[in-house]
Amino acid sequence: MYLKSILSILFLLITSTTFSQDNLLTSFTVPANLIKNANAIVRANDLQINLKSSSEMHVLEKRIVTVLNKEGDDAINAYVHYDNNVKIKDLEVIVYNAGGSQIKKIKKNDFKDVSAVDGGTLYSDSRVKYLEYTPIGYPYTIEFVCETVTSNTAFIQSFSPISDYFLSIENSTYQITFPSDITIRTKEKNFDNFELIKEEISGVIKYKVENIPAIKPEKYAPAFFDMAPKVLVVSNKFTLEGVQTQVENWNDFGKWMYHDLIKNTHDLPESTITMIKNLVKDEPSDIEKAKKIYKYVQDKTRYISVQVGIGGWKPFNASEVDKLGYGDCKALTNYTMSLLKAVGIKSNYTVVYAGDSQRSLEDDFAAMQGNHVILNIPTKNENIWLECTSQKLPFGFIGDFTDDRDVLVITPEGGIIKHTKKYNVEENIQTINGNYTVSNYGMLEADALIKSKGIQYDDKYWLETETERDLDTYYKERWRYINDISISSMDIKNNKQDIEFIEHIHFNATNYTKKIGNRMLLTINALNRNIHLPDRYRNRKFPLKVKRGFKDVDEFKVKLPSEYKIESLPKNASIENKYGSYNTQIISKDDNTLVYKREFIINDGEFTKEDYTAFRGFYKEVTKLDNAKIALIKK
Amino acid sequence: MRILVLLISLCFSITAFAQDYDFGKVSKEELLEKFNPLDSTANATYLYKNRRTYFQYNQGEGFEQITEVHERIKIYNQEGFDYATKQIRLYVSGNSKEEISGIKGYTYNLKGGKIEDFKLSKNGIFDSELSKYANQVKFTMPNIKPGSVIEYKYRILSPFISNVDEFILQHDIPIKKLEARFEAPEYFSFKINVKGYLSVAPVVETKRDKIIFQNKERNYGVQGTTFSTSNLDFDKKVDTYNLDNIPALKEESYVNNMDNYRSSVKYELSYTKFPNSNIEYYSTTWEDVVKRIYKSSDFGSELDKKGYYEDDIDALISSVSDPATRVAVIFNFVKSKIKWNGYHGYYTDKGVKKAYKEQVGNVADINLMLTSMLKYAGLNAYPVLVSTRRNGIPIFPTREGYNYVVSYVKLIDGVVLLDATSKYSEPNVLPYKVLNWQGRVISEHGGSTLIDLYPKQKSKNSIAMMATLSENGDIDGGCRSIKTNHRALTFRESYNDVNKDEYLEKLENEYNGIEIADYEVKNDLDLSKPIVESYKFVKESQADIIGDKIYFSPFFFLKTSESPFKLEKREFPVDFGYPSMTSYRIIINIPEGYKVESIPEPVAFMMPDNLGVFKYNISANGNKVQLLVDSEINESIISSIYYDALKAYFSQLVEKEAEQIVLTKA
Repeated sequence: MYLKSILSILFLLITSTTFSQDNLLTSFTVPANLIKNANAIVRANDLQINLKSSSEMHVLEKRIVTVLNKEGDDAINAYVHYDNNVKIKDLEVIVYNAGGSQIKKIKKNDFKDVSAVDGGTLYSDSRVKYLEYTPIGYPYTIEFVCETVTSNTAFIQSFSPISDYFLSIENSTYQITFPSDITIRTKEKNFDNFELIKEEISGVIKYKVENIPAIKPEKYAPAFFDMAPKVLVVSNKFTLEGVQTQVENWNDFGKWMYHDLIKNTHDLPESTITMIKNLVKDEPSDIEKAKKIYKYVQDKTRYISVQVGIGGWKPFNASEVDKLGYGDCKALTNYTMSLLKAVGIKSNYTVVYAGDSQRSLEDDFAAMQGNHVILNIPTKNENIWLECTSQKLPFGFIGDFTDDRDVLVITPEGGIIKHTKKYNVEENIQTINGNYTVSNYGMLEADALIKSKGIQYDDKYWLETETERDLDTYYKERWRYINDISISSMDIKNNKQDIEFIEHIHFNATNYTKKIGNRMLLTINALNRNIHLPDRYRNRKFPLKVKRGFKDVDEFKVKLPSEYKIESLPKNASIENKYGSYNTQIISKDDNTLVYKREFIINDGEFTKEDYTAFRGFYKEVTKLDNAKIALIKK
Repeated sequence: MRILVLLISLCFSITAFAQDYDFGKVSKEELLEKFNPLDSTANATYLYKNRRTYFQYNQGEGFEQITEVHERIKIYNQEGFDYATKQIRLYVSGNSKEEISGIKGYTYNLKGGKIEDFKLSKNGIFDSELSKYANQVKFTMPNIKPGSVIEYKYRILSPFISNVDEFILQHDIPIKKLEARFEAPEYFSFKINVKGYLSVAPVVETKRDKIIFQNKERNYGVQGTTFSTSNLDFDKKVDTYNLDNIPALKEESYVNNMDNYRSSVKYELSYTKFPNSNIEYYSTTWEDVVKRIYKSSDFGSELDKKGYYEDDIDALISSVSDPATRVAVIFNFVKSKIKWNGYHGYYTDKGVKKAYKEQVGNVADINLMLTSMLKYAGLNAYPVLVSTRRNGIPIFPTREGYNYVVSYVKLIDGVVLLDATSKYSEPNVLPYKVLNWQGRVISEHGGSTLIDLYPKQKSKNSIAMMATLSENGDIDGGCRSIKTNHRALTFRESYNDVNKDEYLEKLENEYNGIEIADYEVKNDLDLSKPIVESYKFVKESQADIIGDKIYFSPFFFLKTSESPFKLEKREFPVDFGYPSMTSYRIIINIPEGYKVESIPEPVAFMMPDNLGVFKYNISANGNKVQLLVDSEINESIISSIYYDALKAYFSQLVEKEAEQIVLTKA
């Protein structure tokens, strides 16, 4: 009885929202507070997921979006992916003009239908149907209806009401229904500043948010996924490309992945096992053996992405990679893992979100996550991480692609969340030892020896394989504040053993100084001026986040022109704050020789939004001090 | 000693000569090669590239086009790995489609002095449907390592006899040996178009060939059916190309389209003449090309349709008699009424009538409609075929040479080019992508003349600034700029449709955090007038204070900080798109208690042949400094022979703009 009354109330609620949607079709009814910063407004988004069993899921999505300008066209998001396991049952768009009159109706067969292969993928069996629509005026409103049915239940669409910047939300609802033999786990994220309305009864969970104004992106801010509200949803029992499983936690999840997707792919041919054992037999330690094997994989394979069926989730067999010499991240990681296993070194397949933004896996929410795979070798003191898709990275170096984030390490005993290597300020160091001479005519002749490590190594190691012509242009760009520069020699070395990049550059520039009458102005920091200034925001909204710190240490020996003497020298500078530090020093060696020392540090960390102005101010001050000039006067 | 050297060089030439290009005959020498001796920067090299395209008669179906490809590629390093993946696009049109067969490939590696080969397996070949009009076949070769040689061949069967893919003779990597062959039966007449910097001429031969017809005859009265064959002998024209050591085509900046300089041969079907039938023309001269385009129902007859707009246009122009005003009124009407759907083409997509009704169309829908309306209004209006910068320069008469159409009106006091697909385009200010050499004006019945698409008129940006310098080096003041033509078009495209707060923030950050107030733009929507942009600003640290002196460049933040030309040498012309002029009128108030100690010398310098002019004039008067500068680029395109001069010019300009004024305590 109790249940029944709730149901009828619920039914009433649903119908009333459905009926009230009519007045959303005109642009005139957009609430004023949702227009600021918005290119488009989601008037109503209604996502209904009906999990009929662990191998049948129906998804019905209805969306009304008002687009205010050209930049907002993408917000209609009128596309749907499909493949052998996802069937599109219904797909339709109706377009309304500003006044709410229907001007066009687009049916399923009028959607463009293309292969959903991105640039880096050789083949994928996934396809996409999308709407190509040229608006004839702004604002306009679209109503999008899409219904799909799939046997893959491993991914249940989350409730992510805000899908992008410059997009406001008037109303967004989410509902999942499920049978009694299934447990649904959810995780609500980033709702501190948003009101989430939740209803839960047996077999149904509903969410709703209303009235969320658009946000705009800011530099040095937390990433979108760390700010946008989201409810993650997963079923304890699910099916992936025909493979069924039950997962309650990371341990189960890891076990399933290991035993159902990975274990049986370690089928190296005997000949390869013998060969690899032979290859490492003289190496003194497991680390040395692993280094040799990593190098072997780098030399033998290359990254090629092919995603078909379960192959989108399960690695190719190691024997396949052995034969073809290529594979995607799963295949290459798995191949390296099998080679290591063949010589008795234990390593673990590791799932990660790759990319510069340091996205962590949700550590308390066991579900299909991540978009990349790396390899973990646990040792007594530390974890070694290997990026197996790169032919260039040194052993154990992962750079900004997978550093400093929570990842899922899959072991035969189950899944474990671990944190990848963080590159600290002191590790991300660049040192420049320079010598330069300024002639009586103001010509500069400079010699710089630059050594980079950590993330600063990551920024440069790719230079090793550039052509001379491109390198020449690169160095001219790097010292673009010097006009008419001509590079006379470039000697670069990638020391993979110590993970250090060494550049030895010699160049000259005809009119480096500014000559005014019998004076000459010389910017003493010729070789490493800061030219980066964080953007200014009139009204900063988000906290300050510096993802990675760095340290620059410079020492230049400066030979002054013989016919000039020093009239005035810039003062030594010393700044210290929570964002970093900056110190310079000028030492006179003799009448015509100066030594300039500089140290610039930026710390990583999270700060308040109020800190942003001071952080920017620090950069501004550094830029100014880096341009400090010596005044020389004719003897 | 000398003999030895001679012997060695002889040996080299012999080994080079003896190279075997049969499929599978990859040599150790090819595998051992560490870099391309003629271009050590090449990441990979085509050791051999062979293509044969010919026509084969299939009884019942007629002629089909067959293309056979055989390529052998050396991969020197990891950067060359991309060449181990091949993509082949196959065209589809209704029920007809191109098909690929016989894909065969091997990777060759050297291991311990022995050649190992690895076969491309079936599951390494992927077919996908790109769209309604194209399929794609992709494959990637196994076991690629630095040093690998790959080799593959395949065959494409095409029902589209008039559409022969371009023979590409130059790639982004070098080619050591190239052989190409094109065979056309006498029934087909192809026109050959060669472009690029290489000198390319085919060896032309005529060969005999025959078609064997199988005849089947039912004999009434007598038993059964008799079979017989008959032969049709015909001539075929065979063009062969043999090229050695073709250098790589390397990317340069400020080039409108690198493909304009890539060597290639294009065969365009001019006409067919089958036995016992009439000649059917495709194209031979520009006149033919134009006539064929004009005759097409998606072009000429679209121009003649009037009924759908007559009432609207009548109402629009009834009170306007001045021809130029009529042009403006109709142009604005079309621009505001029909929105461009993003598609190019000189043939209409859904047709002018439907486009008018739905208010959406492709380039041809919109500009043919515009031309038709202008004619209807009694103006001398014609369509102009255009090739966009991406499409390259139409050097030879082909239908593919053009991919766009604009409108042209002849008035008493001059001519006007119009493109109604771009919201902010004005008469004679075509979108940048269309500024590409010459267009072809099509008169009634298909005659044509050329018209230069590069603008004659300079696009100007006139900047007036008043700045007050404080003792601490900060400045504040006001800035006003007036932009015309393409400068105005670019501004409107980047400003009009974006969030204004966002725009301002970007602008402030572009000038490294200048603080802007009272920002105002006039005429953003009134295209008949130039853009007038004005604002007040505060900017810190614009001068160096050293001792009791102040040093600063009078351009402050407006200074050109670096030269855009960093390459030491260049091969191809620099393409600016349009001639331009930037002028500065800057008045600076110096801080109280200071006087001007020195100012830079006035100067004027120019590039040869008046290609560019820079004039710098400065004067100090009491506590005011006045700067007048004009900087002009007088041509849209500057040939690479002037590159050194251009580079020096920009370097000099950057230097001059950085020159300092010195103030001392009064």
